[in-house]
Amino acid sequence: MGYIKWALMITFWVFVAAFFHYTLPQHDVARITDTYEKRIDFGENSLFWASADTGNATTTANRDVFFIQTRLNTEEVMVYRNEDTGWGWPPYFKFDTTNLQAEASDLRSVAETPQWVVIKHYGWRNEFMSIFPNAVSLRAVDSPDVRIIPWLNIVILLLFVAFVWAIWVRWRRFREARIDPVLEDAGDSIANTSDGVKQWFGSWRK
Amino acid sequence: MLPLALGARYGGSKTFAMARLLVVGFVVCTLVYICLSLYSRSVRRDKLETEWREGDTEGANIEEYVQKGLKDYDGSLRRKLTLGVYVVPFCIVSFIIYATNFM
Repeated sequence: MGYIKWALMITFWVFVAAFFHYTLPQHDVARITDTYEKRIDFGENSLFWASADTGNATTTANRDVFFIQTRLNTEEVMVYRNEDTGWGWPPYFKFDTTNLQAEASDLRSVAETPQWVVIKHYGWRNEFMSIFPNAVSLRAVDSPDVRIIPWLNIVILLLFVAFVWAIWVRWRRFREARIDPVLEDAGDSIANTSDGVKQWFGSWRK
Repeated sequence: MLPLALGARYGGSKTFAMARLLVVGFVVCTLVYICLSLYSRSVRRDKLETEWREGDTEGANIEEYVQKGLKDYDGSLRRKLTLGVYVVPFCIVSFIIYATNFM
């Protein structure tokens, strides 16, 4: 029973952690190597794509998606999609996809004369599902060693922890006041009964 | 938040995304507003009752004292601040729109 409880709890918190990891903004320092758009036919991975540009038809079977391909300051390559989130989830309210693509194209550079940029994005890159993080904004920086403190994430996660803690404390108090006494009563009566049974068996042993 | 998440997905419903956000947001805010109003009023009532018991208000009967106190509370600025439940999310969304697209 204990194992099942732990397994459920761990699964739940892994999902919560994954949710935040996917949804909260993260920053990469990168050099943009190229930008392009590509027709995407959404399949099993459709959950990991956002919406068409706000105002366009939402029921078409496929559409062109902007991409930004980069080399990170860690020497790995990373490809971002560039889509509107519009009025939907996650609540970035991004409507300026096409402008962002123009900025990205403008900041393209080659390895010999690198132009570093900080790319704010959310989402995951996963090769097995062909999903890409969505670039939200970018800004040019002078050096790849820029220090970024994720204030927004700190604030949101602190608020979330405070919220969970507040619920947890109230639940514990409620349990101590209302549920534990009842269980104790039940436990006592079981204990009394088993005492009786023990005595009965004891009387045999003599 | 699930309706928003699914709606945002490619191939979601055909209704205006903005209208959907407004409707869902309004319903959620209204639920929060109702709960908060009731809670805040009950806290106010408890406070008035404690005040009455601790003295200074001899002469008035507890029910009258509490009713009068709650009537004052209904007209107060503190009561109107509960409307922040609608105002604050609106301001946050406006700021995010500005920050994401125009900053």
